[in-house]
Amino acid sequence: MNEQYQHDQQPSTPQQGILMPRPTAAPLVLAFGVMLIACGLVLNYAFSAVGLVLVLGGLARWIYILASGTGEELVPLEREPAPVKISRVQVEPLRPGMAGHRMKIPLEVHPYSAGLKGGIIGGIAMAVTALAYGLISGRGLWYPVNLLGGMVVPSVVHWTPAELAQFHFMEFAIGTVIFGFTAIAVGLMFGILLPTMPRWPILWGGIVAPVLWTGAIYSFMGILNPALGEHIDWEWFFVSQFAYGITVGIVVVRTEKIPVSGIKK
Amino acid sequence: MASIDTPSTPKDSTTVPLITRLHGWVISVDHKRIGIMYLLMSFLFLILGGVQGLFIRMQLWGPNGTVVDADTYNQLFTMHGTTMIFFVLMPMLGGFANFVVPLMIGARDVAFPRLNAMGFWLSFFGGCVLYYSHLGAEGLYGAASAPDIGWFAYAPLTSPAFSRGNATDYWILGTTLTGVGAISLAVNMVATIFTMRAPGMRLTKMPLYVLLFLVDAILILLVFPPFAAAQFMLLLDRFLGAHFFDPQVGGSALLWQHLFWFFGHPEVYILALPAFAVISEVIPVFSRKVIFGYLSMAAATIAIGFISCGVWAHHMFTVGLSDTLDTFFAGATMLVAIPTGIKIFNWVATMYGGRLRLQTPMLYALGFLTLFLFGGLTGIMLASPPFDWQASDSAFLVGHFHYTLVGGILFAFLAGFYYWYPKMFGRMMSERLGIIQFAFTYIGFNALFIPMHIVGMLGMPRRIYTYTDPSWTIWNQISTIGAFMMAIGLLLFLYNFFSSLRHGKIAGDDPWDAWTLEWNTTSPPPCYNFKEIPTVRSRRPLWDLKHPDDPDWKHE
Repeated sequence: MNEQYQHDQQPSTPQQGILMPRPTAAPLVLAFGVMLIACGLVLNYAFSAVGLVLVLGGLARWIYILASGTGEELVPLEREPAPVKISRVQVEPLRPGMAGHRMKIPLEVHPYSAGLKGGIIGGIAMAVTALAYGLISGRGLWYPVNLLGGMVVPSVVHWTPAELAQFHFMEFAIGTVIFGFTAIAVGLMFGILLPTMPRWPILWGGIVAPVLWTGAIYSFMGILNPALGEHIDWEWFFVSQFAYGITVGIVVVRTEKIPVSGIKK
Repeated sequence: MASIDTPSTPKDSTTVPLITRLHGWVISVDHKRIGIMYLLMSFLFLILGGVQGLFIRMQLWGPNGTVVDADTYNQLFTMHGTTMIFFVLMPMLGGFANFVVPLMIGARDVAFPRLNAMGFWLSFFGGCVLYYSHLGAEGLYGAASAPDIGWFAYAPLTSPAFSRGNATDYWILGTTLTGVGAISLAVNMVATIFTMRAPGMRLTKMPLYVLLFLVDAILILLVFPPFAAAQFMLLLDRFLGAHFFDPQVGGSALLWQHLFWFFGHPEVYILALPAFAVISEVIPVFSRKVIFGYLSMAAATIAIGFISCGVWAHHMFTVGLSDTLDTFFAGATMLVAIPTGIKIFNWVATMYGGRLRLQTPMLYALGFLTLFLFGGLTGIMLASPPFDWQASDSAFLVGHFHYTLVGGILFAFLAGFYYWYPKMFGRMMSERLGIIQFAFTYIGFNALFIPMHIVGMLGMPRRIYTYTDPSWTIWNQISTIGAFMMAIGLLLFLYNFFSSLRHGKIAGDDPWDAWTLEWNTTSPPPCYNFKEIPTVRSRRPLWDLKHPDDPDWKHE
């Protein structure tokens, strides 16, 4: 039998008491010995020698109590815990229209696939806008892609305009991952949130969200990466955000709604 | 077979001499007593580490401070960091694991009770060895009387050329000993949780608290052994001239950083997961609702454990890794935000629509939510290498990790203290003092660490013992005032803790009307925990007993 406590094998005997491990100084002595052995390295090897004696003594005691079966003792029973109070209070599930709650549950929502589709199509619209900016401004097709990669790759901030205009596989891969992930994630959020917005969902998605998002990025870019911030054309940044938001809004809104219960299926 | 003998545990502690009672504690192998000893150990070192922190803040009160000299300042921040991580937060983890987990799974003790005791004593003696450096570290060289290498002990600072005397050796030995203690704890937790759960408590029916400690213990087993190996290599460098970390003779200083942070970053999560565990108990009980999204919480926990092992080099962006490595570790680091975000949303969703009881444990839980969220957001900022390059060695980073480690983890543990104190000692902590203490701690904490973000952005480096720029003064002064407010808060906590042992209101067995098994025994529990091992059918077995008409197992 190893050290594992034996109550698994031996059921409690409530009349006599319960078998529990007996207190022992063996672990304390052993640990103290280990400490002395360690300290002997810097103090004097005599400490290590004493520590070794203590470790052997502690270990011998430990093995003895396990081997001889003296490691447990019968502990008498103490007072019983207070009886559990039965509660007859029912937990009532929340229902629409229940008094005292502000619960509003839509009966029909857009499926998750609407947000996914909107994110992908909106992402394509945004990418086309951003790449068009690169060509129209004369900074090169890959300019916005490299800037996006620069969010993670620090060396991009030191690149010359010529280098920013060229294709770089690493920045392309990073930019694609960041862009694809964000476009789909935000699309899914739009898919859920837009229908809950009052009156004109497309307006919220196409105008308000891009304004807020662009404003937030503009504010934080000075802290997050000021060198990179200098390269960004903020008007075009907003235009590409607008292209994304309006596209997602249209795709989501045009998708047929399904009953709420349909989500679980 | 076991023998049957008379009990060695005294029946009535008040009639037994103090020395006998103390003897009973030091030879105890009872998981509850060991848990409480872990917590008392953390208090001892919290006072020491706190005083060191106060000296740091006093020195930085104004430009050209003269409270301590540069060498002493280096020792102060080294000892402060090492103490708080290894000898305050880790013992708190050990305390809550030991006291609560076996009770919560309906076990009578841990799987290896004597190993458990040895683990505690190794951790405690590790702390003693570290602090013995103040007395014995001068060696033959008359050098530093305490380690001055930072809690991360970067090479080549630790080489004999730069760290004369034995202070660094004591740092290595002390942290190694406590590391072995942590491994003992983890082995025990894994074995206990896998083999000693009450009948009916399948892995998917465990309370989140237990699941989080299981993942935590596995993380400890994954990352502490490599750290111990690194420390052994460092000892070989210092004593036998092995040159593992000496770049002048073919070694690599960067190797130490990799080995250290392979342990060091998961260590943050090793400390954070128990904090999450406490919060996952406190918020449902004080919102009177079942935890929202158990399965997603469980999945997020496992994801955090997995991802946290692959992000260590974000601590090393500034050493000049390749763009490829920077990119990988930045991406992996940002990925951690997803499961962590899931947890925060789920805690908020648990509170939403609940009947909140704003008692002290809940106040700390809410404090945790706000502070940990803030620390997490600045962490995402620092996960971006271009930003990290600017802020890494500034006071901004100091502010960030204190929001995570103190604002997040310590606040959660304080919630845990208030929550399980009645179970530990059978008495309640003072609610009034608790609220006053929370106010001091929360306001003091924010006053202490928010200015660090600002002064860091203004350019103040970390680890400097003084400064000359007058524009940094006001922020440092606010920080120092906040530090003293926080110190008052923590002293009030200690006073509340110890005075309530005698003067606290009698708690009863289930003072919070809670739902897990530890509240189904007496307060404090007998050494055998349960007269009969309970059988459970859901994650809230006590709810099932209290609500036989609407038990949880019908819905899980």
